Amino acid sequence: MAIGRTIRDDFDWPLFIAVSTIALFGVLNLYSATEGGTTSDAYVQQLYWLILGFGVAGLTVAIDYRYFERYGWVIYGACILALVLVFGLGRSVRGSTRWIALGGFSLQPSELMKIGLIIALAKYLHHDTKTGGRTLADLIIPGLILALPMGLVLLQPDLGTAMVLAFIFASVMMLTQLKMRSVVTLLATFVVAAPVTWFYLLKDYQKERITAFWDRLGGTQADILDSGWHTHQSLVAIGSGGLTGKGFTQGTQTRFRFLPDQHTDFPFPVWAEEHGFLGAVLLISLYLFLVLWSLRIASQAKDRFGAVVAVGVGAMIFWQTVVNLGMVSGLLPVVGMTLPLFSYGGSSLLSTMLGLGLLMNVSMRRFSH
Amino acid sequence: MITVSQRREVGEFRKRYRWMALFVVLVFGGIIIRVAQVQLFQRDRWSGIAQQNITKTLELPATRGVIRDIAGRVVATNRPSYDVYATPRLLLSEDVDRIASLMGLSEQDRAGLQTRLDELPPSRRTHQLELYSDIDREQLAALETHLAELPALDVVTVPLRDYPYATLGAHLIGYLNEVNAQDLERSPDPSTYRSGDRIGRSGLEKRYEPLLKGSRGFRRVVVDARGKALAGTRPDSLEVEMLKKPVPGHDIQLTIDMRLMEAFDRAFRPHPSGAAVVVDIHTGAVRALYSKPVYDPNEMSSGLSTKRYAELTGDPFRPLIDKTMYETYFPGSTFKVITALASLEDAVVDPMQRIECMGSMKIGRQKFRCSKRHEWVDLYDSIVQSCNVYFWELAEEVGLERITRYAEAFGFAEQTGIGVNSEAKGFLATREWYVEHYGAFRIGYTLNTAIGQGNTRVTVLQLAMANAAIANGGTLYVPQVVQNVKAPDGSLSETFEPRIRREVGVSPQHLDLMRRALHDVVQEESGTAYRARNKDGVRVAGKTGTAQVVSRKGRSEESSSAWYLDRSHGWFAGFAPAEDPQVAFAVLVEHGGSGGASAAPIATSVMQQYLSEPEPTEAE
Repeated sequence: MAIGRTIRDDFDWPLFIAVSTIALFGVLNLYSATEGGTTSDAYVQQLYWLILGFGVAGLTVAIDYRYFERYGWVIYGACILALVLVFGLGRSVRGSTRWIALGGFSLQPSELMKIGLIIALAKYLHHDTKTGGRTLADLIIPGLILALPMGLVLLQPDLGTAMVLAFIFASVMMLTQLKMRSVVTLLATFVVAAPVTWFYLLKDYQKERITAFWDRLGGTQADILDSGWHTHQSLVAIGSGGLTGKGFTQGTQTRFRFLPDQHTDFPFPVWAEEHGFLGAVLLISLYLFLVLWSLRIASQAKDRFGAVVAVGVGAMIFWQTVVNLGMVSGLLPVVGMTLPLFSYGGSSLLSTMLGLGLLMNVSMRRFSH
Repeated sequence: MITVSQRREVGEFRKRYRWMALFVVLVFGGIIIRVAQVQLFQRDRWSGIAQQNITKTLELPATRGVIRDIAGRVVATNRPSYDVYATPRLLLSEDVDRIASLMGLSEQDRAGLQTRLDELPPSRRTHQLELYSDIDREQLAALETHLAELPALDVVTVPLRDYPYATLGAHLIGYLNEVNAQDLERSPDPSTYRSGDRIGRSGLEKRYEPLLKGSRGFRRVVVDARGKALAGTRPDSLEVEMLKKPVPGHDIQLTIDMRLMEAFDRAFRPHPSGAAVVVDIHTGAVRALYSKPVYDPNEMSSGLSTKRYAELTGDPFRPLIDKTMYETYFPGSTFKVITALASLEDAVVDPMQRIECMGSMKIGRQKFRCSKRHEWVDLYDSIVQSCNVYFWELAEEVGLERITRYAEAFGFAEQTGIGVNSEAKGFLATREWYVEHYGAFRIGYTLNTAIGQGNTRVTVLQLAMANAAIANGGTLYVPQVVQNVKAPDGSLSETFEPRIRREVGVSPQHLDLMRRALHDVVQEESGTAYRARNKDGVRVAGKTGTAQVVSRKGRSEESSSAWYLDRSHGWFAGFAPAEDPQVAFAVLVEHGGSGGASAAPIATSVMQQYLSEPEPTEAE
């Protein structure tokens, strides 16, 4: 292997710089969001996680991604096992069990599952010999690869992550061709499944958030004290930022604690309030670049596995970003979704860095044989 | 593992990237448009809410203007009331129990508080809500020690109206109570009144509401999401005014002399009800407007229960009625002065001509009775001794029209224009009125009118103003109760000059004759008020009157006081000092019987106290 020589030549600087910039902004934003509060040292912890994350990404880059392909099922199986363990060893926070304690810190297996799913799908498609239109029967195995972790995550329950898994799956499968007949059947299934999901699978608080969202979209004044309250305060923060913002650490919505979960699910309003429209556009553009860049990496990948991994990681970042931004700007219901790289949280950062490591891996090995 | 066929399949994927990229760009573009909409186009709206979020507005109530009497004695002022306010959004569920225990609320009151909070619409939950007003010292102490643990609560010191003279002059001074929906609708500027504010509801408090009120101010404090005040913090983005000082209301000085009012209150002690008015004859300035009994203004301002209201309206002495101007009475013999002047002016009588009073007079088949047999009397004697027979004879000569015309000249059957509270017009019946209501006109009606009975109705205030005109030589003034209005800085903002209604058009010598007669009513042994005179004291002149009462038997048969309520009203109206008149008065003792025995002693004793003491000067 000639990796030692090619690392310098093929290192994907644009990817590295975009990721580092977003992560740095995230730390600064976290500092501002928690300044003077009880969690004012959160940004230091986030820095530690970031260093760890870059380390993990570095390790991931060092190993040729074909090894991940080879051990794809093992990785997928390990992630599933961790998800199962959650129910035995898990710690319950606010009514859902998502974390397992691992020594001094806690880990969220559902976060790692995203990477596990991407690798598993990539491995499956890599070995799939089909090149033409696919039928529904061809979707059964990838569908099962999705269904198993998604079911486990829904049981926790963690609607947000389950959605991301589904979105990653859908995005990856968009790479392949589906026969028109299959598309129609899928749509019909969705029409049947939606009411079943609403009446039997969703918890009351989840339904409430969704109805509050529709109320607001429909123009009826929702009770801002209940589910709509978070979105309302988030919009206040974003809107009051104006063009140039109130200045670093000067956001009143942030400092006076009007934003819920301001360092996990709502860091964007903090950013937008303090840095205004200009800051918001800069941040959104960085994400846009990151996603487009991952598509570029996919298109240059030397094999199917690399292409699917790149699209999967790009999709993971894209959907989480879109859902998070849509949620904080009142376009989507509040579902509890972190903003990748930007939000506070070890597991989320770690899995994102793991994915980005894979992306860099694919990018750097596009020419080597 | 890498084969040629796999390379081709990657190529097959490639067709999709372009579409994916387009989709990604469109979605991110949509988000940027949304952010632009919120941050650039809706900015003002959200900024406003952001500023509202972190500020709590504490209202600074304006101090209502103080009302003083002519000598500067305070009749309406303010004392601190401690009111409890809550911001419902910040109230935790356990706070209600906490408040209930600190305030010492009953279980029922606690439940009431809970209901009140629960029924609040969401839009009002961020605004302060008044929970309790004027809490007592113990409740205040309990709340204040725990205020730090209840960030949703505020105890606000608000000036509350206080009337040092309690019920004395309550009809004139009036009272406040809470604004209602109509008040809020009528108010031109919506910020002037808010639900829970108090508004002048009667008397001067109502008449001068815009001047007395002042305008409220506010203080804003920066608070966090839980409503905790953050002292000394002021974010740069906060563009709102943080302090607006309240502007106190104007102070009002009355022409009323509370010492005189107190003197009347003492003099009226033997009688359950009545009224008295004293006016300055040279200006029309009212020195006393006394009506008995009175409601308690403090009780009125806190809102009456239905039961209490029924008690007040059912009281036979009618405490809700201002008897100086809202109630009308037969003037009785006090009206003879008007009849006499009408006769003199139109020269229908020779004042020196005597007639013989036999104690009664027969007209047709009806026999009219005099108070006693007065023997030979002229006009002067018949005023001093109040002989009805003389006036009946006179009435036939002078006729109803002349009496009515002169009564109108002296301001009867017309509002005086005092401008405070509702004022009755009184009534003078005309020939046409009798024809319309009684079928035909009969001479008996004129006879009754001549002696102040029949259908003639006057107010105490009208009678006092008419006597002022007699005393000052024929000028009828508009009665005024306010001397001046002072701005909060102490400067005079309005003074009230005397206002003349009209010259009554009666010759000075006729008025002089009347004044001499009124003097002798009290000073001559034969006078009807001789026994009420001040021996070696202030000389008072006036005319007694005894006004029949329309029988109430049908109405209050069961009442043990029915016999009393059928007694005549006693009148005494005139001026003092007799030799150099300064003030005119009218005193009415309801059901006091003879005016000479009931009303005249009140007038003479009060005048004695009032005029023998030094002139009241304003206490600076």
